Amino acid sequence: MRIRMTVTAVLATLAGSAGLHPLFTSGRWFWAVLGAVPCAAAGGLLMRRLRFSAAIGAAGGLAALLLYLTAVFAHAQALLWVVPTPGSLRHLVALGSDGWRAVNQYAAPVPLVHGITLLVAAGVGLVAVLVDLLAVRLRRAALAGLPLLAMYSVPAAVREEGVSWLAFGAGALGFLMLLTSDAREQVGGWGRAVFAPRFGGDVPLAGADEPRPGDRVPAGALAASGRRIGAAAVAIAVLVPLALPGLHPNGVFGRDDAGGGSRTVTTPDPLVSLKRELTRPDDSVVLTYRTSDAQPDYLRLYALDRFDGDRWTYDPLRSTPRDKITKAPLPAPPGMTLVPTRTVRTRVSVRPEVRRMTFLPVPYAPARVTVSGDWRVHPESLMVYSLRDSAGGRAYTVDSVRPEPTAADLSVGGALPADIVGRYTAYPKNVPAIVRNLADRVTAGATSSYQQAVRLQRWFTETGGFTYDLSAPPPQHGSDLLAFLVKNRRGYCEQFAASMALMARILGIPARVAMGYTPGTEEDGRWVVRSRDAHAWPELYFPGAGWIRFEPTPSGIAGQGTAVPPVYTARTDPGADDPSGSRTTVEEPSAGDEPTSTPSGSASGRRDLLDSPENTREENGRGVPAGWIGLGVLVLLLLAAPTVVRVLIRRRRWAAAEPPPEPRPGPVPTPREPTPGAAHTAWRELRADALDHGLPWLPNESPRATARRLTETLELPSPAREALGRIAMAEELARYSRSGVRVPRGALRADVRTVRAAFAAAVPRRTRWRARVLPPSALETARDSARASARELGRELARRGLRTPSGRVPERLAALTASAREAAHRARNRFRT
Amino acid sequence: MAVGTHDGEPVMEAAAGLDDLARVAGAIRRAVESVVEGKASAVRLALTVLLAEGHLLIEDVPGVGKTLLAKALARSVDCSVRRVQFTPDLLPSDITGVSAYDQELREFEFKPGPVFANIVVGDEINRASPKTQSALLECMEERQVTVDGTTYPLEPPFMVVATQNPVEMEGTYPLPEAQRDRFTARISMGYPDPAAELEMLDVHGGRSPLDGLAPVADAADVRRLISVVRGTHVAPSVRQYAIDLVTATRNHPDLRLGASPRATLHLVRAARAYAALDERDYVLPDDLQDLAVPVLAHRLLPTAEARMERRRPEHVVADLVKRLPVPAAGK
Repeated sequence: MRIRMTVTAVLATLAGSAGLHPLFTSGRWFWAVLGAVPCAAAGGLLMRRLRFSAAIGAAGGLAALLLYLTAVFAHAQALLWVVPTPGSLRHLVALGSDGWRAVNQYAAPVPLVHGITLLVAAGVGLVAVLVDLLAVRLRRAALAGLPLLAMYSVPAAVREEGVSWLAFGAGALGFLMLLTSDAREQVGGWGRAVFAPRFGGDVPLAGADEPRPGDRVPAGALAASGRRIGAAAVAIAVLVPLALPGLHPNGVFGRDDAGGGSRTVTTPDPLVSLKRELTRPDDSVVLTYRTSDAQPDYLRLYALDRFDGDRWTYDPLRSTPRDKITKAPLPAPPGMTLVPTRTVRTRVSVRPEVRRMTFLPVPYAPARVTVSGDWRVHPESLMVYSLRDSAGGRAYTVDSVRPEPTAADLSVGGALPADIVGRYTAYPKNVPAIVRNLADRVTAGATSSYQQAVRLQRWFTETGGFTYDLSAPPPQHGSDLLAFLVKNRRGYCEQFAASMALMARILGIPARVAMGYTPGTEEDGRWVVRSRDAHAWPELYFPGAGWIRFEPTPSGIAGQGTAVPPVYTARTDPGADDPSGSRTTVEEPSAGDEPTSTPSGSASGRRDLLDSPENTREENGRGVPAGWIGLGVLVLLLLAAPTVVRVLIRRRRWAAAEPPPEPRPGPVPTPREPTPGAAHTAWRELRADALDHGLPWLPNESPRATARRLTETLELPSPAREALGRIAMAEELARYSRSGVRVPRGALRADVRTVRAAFAAAVPRRTRWRARVLPPSALETARDSARASARELGRELARRGLRTPSGRVPERLAALTASAREAAHRARNRFRT
Repeated sequence: MAVGTHDGEPVMEAAAGLDDLARVAGAIRRAVESVVEGKASAVRLALTVLLAEGHLLIEDVPGVGKTLLAKALARSVDCSVRRVQFTPDLLPSDITGVSAYDQELREFEFKPGPVFANIVVGDEINRASPKTQSALLECMEERQVTVDGTTYPLEPPFMVVATQNPVEMEGTYPLPEAQRDRFTARISMGYPDPAAELEMLDVHGGRSPLDGLAPVADAADVRRLISVVRGTHVAPSVRQYAIDLVTATRNHPDLRLGASPRATLHLVRAARAYAALDERDYVLPDDLQDLAVPVLAHRLLPTAEARMERRRPEHVVADLVKRLPVPAAGK
């Protein structure tokens, strides 16, 4: 029955589900879970009471869970409120798919619609069934950690900042509680501890030992130290990551920047964030600002300088304390030397609800930033970021130097700095030729880089027949960009910006993709930027002007609503006022006449987007490749390690047993000569195989007794029985007989193989797989060799005359473990009384 | 007091080696087993003790065949056999013999007692007074008898097979530790299983089973077998195992008195014989394990605590055997 264990399992599951809290906007889901978990456990308990098998027990748990879900979510369609009917099941399924859709639509925290509550209750209930099955029915409390871990890893994977220490602590303590309870039951199975006073009338005769002081091991103290170790482990697990900079975005001990080392900055994928921002169901206000600029420029967050063939990203930032923003001016914007500039001051207030914004939205080019907290500037791109602070809730002032080039300024041309050319005109060789040809054709006849850029922009916004469409899937690969350029020509700012920057690079113009926000809308002298003002645009480099913004994305009602084409791209240049010229060079797109006929207005288009869950799903799947594959390979290697170790040990053993190639013709070996190692090797291998297959190996059994027992218990078939007998006989002769008998190594090896196959056939499938994947003997060997090397080290230190205590530590440790083991053994014997 | 002697033809010619031993021992065993049914292990232990030059103590309730086993063993081997029924009024000289004055020769003449035989069957040995019991001591250990200052050696093979009732029975004097220590092994017969008992009724209902038993070996055979047994190899690791086993009894908290060094000697000797009976020329830890309880248990004294909790020395020894690891390779 194990009622106590059942209750503990319920509590552990509930504690583990606490980690789900940040995934939802409200905490009401917990009430559904609070009912589902005990119901599932009660189902399992009932099945145990009726003495059904484990599988039926799990089925009982599932059935109870279904009843509960029916009663809570579909009682209207159910019979007697709880009994599921086809109607109620259909209702549940419909609710579930509603929830599923909602889950895929929203980023965490998701609003708690009815369907999501159902999914959560069902999911946690399933975990409860599994925990109940593993911990209570199968008595494998440690394994029950796996479903709990799976539940815990959901928020850890979804939320970029991970799970709060409180949730982690609750989950870990729940699991520890489960382990403790299980261990207590197991010890309890031995009966009550009896500590008989050891004195009495018996006079110890010769040989009888005085009772030793270590005889008594108070079980209470053992349990207490177990609890202490568990609590300490949880505390360490919570505290250590805080102290390590790479593991936690807001390291508590990371504030002190006097350390001076450089750090790599990792932030959420800007493009993913962009899509998420653009498709937020609530068009919430991100920030407001007041500015001295009548026509404010875009607010830039990121500058993506690297195109890897699929997507635009930025090189990892190497952050040093020198980059910290102080009252001093920021580094001068690169290349902005000749064009007229205007200084504007912007006072920005980011809304406190904004989370994880570790980059500051600032108008280019920031010259001075006044902000509280630890903010740093990337000197080349002038991105302003923080290693630990978020912009949410902050107000800051930016003085920006805004370039105001004229078309003439940009047409001047001149030599590009080598580092800029090297870095910002690179693109992968695998960019299809069709894109290169397209770039050439679109810009044919242009006389300067500037003209090329303007033609590109115009091609995207006017002549190319592109449609602004937020429902387009985000470009994942180079082929998606190709499709955008050549085939469907539908997309949103990301495709436009990425394509234009790539084509500019192809044409030899240094380019990068900037991301941030459009100026937003002005309300009573205050500019309001909402989440759908998130935007991406290309920045191109011109000698003397530096980085200049372009706007290939259609603006206005049929485009990015608040996007503004820069004034210097207006049609003033003579080479650009012939749209037909470029138009003729480009294949007429099939969707070319759609933009006005089906304007996907910003509002409606984005609402529609909510109904296509694939978008967000695809978005979540992006960014998988290299890292995950590497991780997968690593995990596979780790998983394969025990098997490999086992195989290596086997090979080494047999190699060591290799007899000398040719018996020496010298003196005849005396009968006392040590017996050949092949028998011992075969026996050791047999022992390892038995342990691998979970067969007991008793130290008090001689080879023949072992062989007899294994043969009887496993009912080995005849060839294996004979092989086992031969191995045992060889070992017996090698160990105990006068002369030993030389048995050919090959024969023994074949026999061992036969017996191993017979073992594998005789044990349950699970054990067989464990023997293959996680052979216990390999772990034992590793432990033994570690112990041996510790002993060796101690001996070596002692030999060198290091009489310091440290030199004796391994020996002392060995003595300690030995005495502890003995004490535990005595305690166990005592328990038996 | 009843004394009997058997003389007969030697059944086998002398032959060396284990094959010979197996043949002879097998013949003796079959002969004994034809009389004592369903007690193969007891018979084997009795043979082991015979070949290990030891003495055997058979302890059990009356009527389970203790004396029958002793007699059958004695009769299967064609050698001098004497049987002594121990009673409370039995005197030491009734065992060892007396010096009587010969009127004709005008000198004291030694009349050998029943102990002067190859196999001496002592029935109900614990019914005699301690004084008489201890008279057996010197004979068993020294294999000689000293009467009136003169020492008379006993001819090998010499084996005492003593039977005794459990000490709780009425009218018994428990054997002193020192005397128990001189017995190589103590076995108990136990009740036969129903099938064996039924067959016993069928076969031996009318006449004594011993009547049809003819000797299958003689004293010379036994001496030869004993020399074969002495050549059985005991690997150093196995000797160490025997010492470990005995030492463990000395350190066990449930035992007031552990086994003596003589016990170690007896254990190894018996193991040699046991192995030879298995047609092996080397001793296995299994032999020691099988023999540990019969060879060691009767020498051990449990503590009062253990006795109260009914933890008998047999259990202690069996537990030790289970816990002590056998010597492995490379040791």
